[in-house]
Amino acid sequence: MNLEPTMKQSVIRRSVRRFAEEKIALLAAAMDAKAEFPRALAGEMASLDYFGLEIPKEHGGAGLDTVSAAMVIEELSRVSGAVGLCVSVHNSVAASPVHEFGNAHQRKVFLEPMARGEKIGTFCLTEPNAGSDASAIETTAVKTGDGYLLNGNKIFVTNGGVSGMNLVFALNRPAEERKRYSVFIVESERAGLEKGPVEDLMGMRGNPVCPLVFHDCYVPSENRLGEEGQGLKIALASLSGGRIGIGAQALGIAQASLDVSGKYARERYQFGRPLCAFGGVQGLLADMAVRIEASRLLVYRAASMRHQGLPHTKESAMGKLFASETAVHAARTGLQIHGGYGYTKAYPIERYYRDAKVCEIYEGTSEIQRMVIARSLLAEKGKS
Amino acid sequence: MNIVVCIKQVPDAPTIRMDRERMTIIREGVESIINPLDAVALDAALTLKRKQGSRVTVLTMGPPQSEEALREALAAGADQAVLVTDPRFAGADTLATSHALARAVSRLEPFPDLILCGKQSIDSDTGHVGPQIAEELDLPQVCGATEIHLEEGSLMVKQVSDGFLNSLRVSLPALVTVSSDLSSPGYLSLGEIESAFSGRQILRWGLDDLQLRESEVGFEGSATRVLRLYRPPPKRKGEILNGPSPEIVERLIKKLESLSIIDEEDAGA
Repeated sequence: MNLEPTMKQSVIRRSVRRFAEEKIALLAAAMDAKAEFPRALAGEMASLDYFGLEIPKEHGGAGLDTVSAAMVIEELSRVSGAVGLCVSVHNSVAASPVHEFGNAHQRKVFLEPMARGEKIGTFCLTEPNAGSDASAIETTAVKTGDGYLLNGNKIFVTNGGVSGMNLVFALNRPAEERKRYSVFIVESERAGLEKGPVEDLMGMRGNPVCPLVFHDCYVPSENRLGEEGQGLKIALASLSGGRIGIGAQALGIAQASLDVSGKYARERYQFGRPLCAFGGVQGLLADMAVRIEASRLLVYRAASMRHQGLPHTKESAMGKLFASETAVHAARTGLQIHGGYGYTKAYPIERYYRDAKVCEIYEGTSEIQRMVIARSLLAEKGKS
Repeated sequence: MNIVVCIKQVPDAPTIRMDRERMTIIREGVESIINPLDAVALDAALTLKRKQGSRVTVLTMGPPQSEEALREALAAGADQAVLVTDPRFAGADTLATSHALARAVSRLEPFPDLILCGKQSIDSDTGHVGPQIAEELDLPQVCGATEIHLEEGSLMVKQVSDGFLNSLRVSLPALVTVSSDLSSPGYLSLGEIESAFSGRQILRWGLDDLQLRESEVGFEGSATRVLRLYRPPPKRKGEILNGPSPEIVERLIKKLESLSIIDEEDAGA
């Protein structure tokens, strides 16, 4: 068992960290304040392959292993949760499923522009009446001629405002129990697809999250990803990978919280001593660091298992659960160390606090992760 | 045109630790980077390559883990990488290092037209290695270049020394060490990093490949001995002002005025 990063992973982390600190850090606060996603930045990131992390080179990607991909998301999120979110969702639940389940034509036409970052991807599952209960989706795909007509509302679509390619889950064969859903790749310019106003979010404000409304939106059969009825299978497989991305993202936010809090504790003097000289504050920093390191091991292990093609549903849920709760803990504790200043926008810790919270909610709430983990445990027990 | 860039893997400044017994810097298990000025030299070589199609070879001497620096250079666009490595090279000072590197350069075919080095390294800061390689190979050298370009088969170099800007014409082959003003290295694409670590070859040359004797290299071949390694005591105590920015600025101005670093007029302007 080797828990050290490889030389390649060290170079990747260092290189992404430098880009993030030099290019994204200065924009992060303004992205949050103005709720704007800078297109020029996305262009620069595209040229460095950040939108094709695990996609093989022949399809325009970087061909990284899953652990390296997680490190990229972690480093971007350490500087801006919103940018990390964009890259995580695009790569793990939009581009990866098209690579995994797409045919040669779909890889060429849909995947390559995504991997090159020309089209940003979304994953449209959530609806007004279907959140944790994803099986309750009401968007329909009715067969017509050589294609399908999509009707319905998708909400809280990450990257929605800047997306070019959307994976849309729809009810296609209502009569069949577990095979009722299918997935469609819908280009943003298709008639019948309308993007709603960007949500006024608590955190991750630099990401243009918005509803996507489908009204008699025609998509040809060649846009259907996988077979009819494979929707649930594709959704579950995608989310197992997506949770590694969100875990990595939470890890980045948690690490950022520790970094700024350690720095603040060394600089801030009270009672004639720096805060870090007080045992109470040292304890807070130590607890943050322990949880972050444990999260990192869980997330990387899930990533490593995924890369080896091993089942990893339980492990990615564990990583996502623990890392997102760690991010909230680290941001809250870090804000406490900052005291009154932490409650102002003069310091980034309040942004980390707002950004961290959603990690416990999207791509499966903490409650759903516990359900997934328990089910896996009980199923394992059943086998023995 | 063939360009060789000599690079050194150095500990990233914030993680530097010392081995007080052996009077050396601990390199094992420490985050290492390409010496920043060597990265500038590499970037300058890659700029020449883009402009007029050169072949760029990166060369380093160090322990096996220096491979990481070479692969990073391959990811940035270098064509070939050479690692001069042998346990017998350990403990080399700048003279023994330059000797081994000069031998490695002369082993390259064809002999390079231009050798670029960083002006100095952030860990030992001597600035010896570039000039010593030039001396060994009997090449013209310019140190601390701020600008280079090719003109009719020779190299035009700008260099700042003693506050003057020198414009020099240098015949090739030559060795030039670069300062940070020369260029600012760009960012690596992930695909290039992946390629640099999968399937690219690195040439590894040891003592025997370079036809050197043990007495010429490493600790034995070194002309200098480190007698003592210590952290110098800080000369002045820094002070950190805390608080909201406007308040800090006020206090800072008062402070600078009280030290007569600025006067009231400056502060008002």
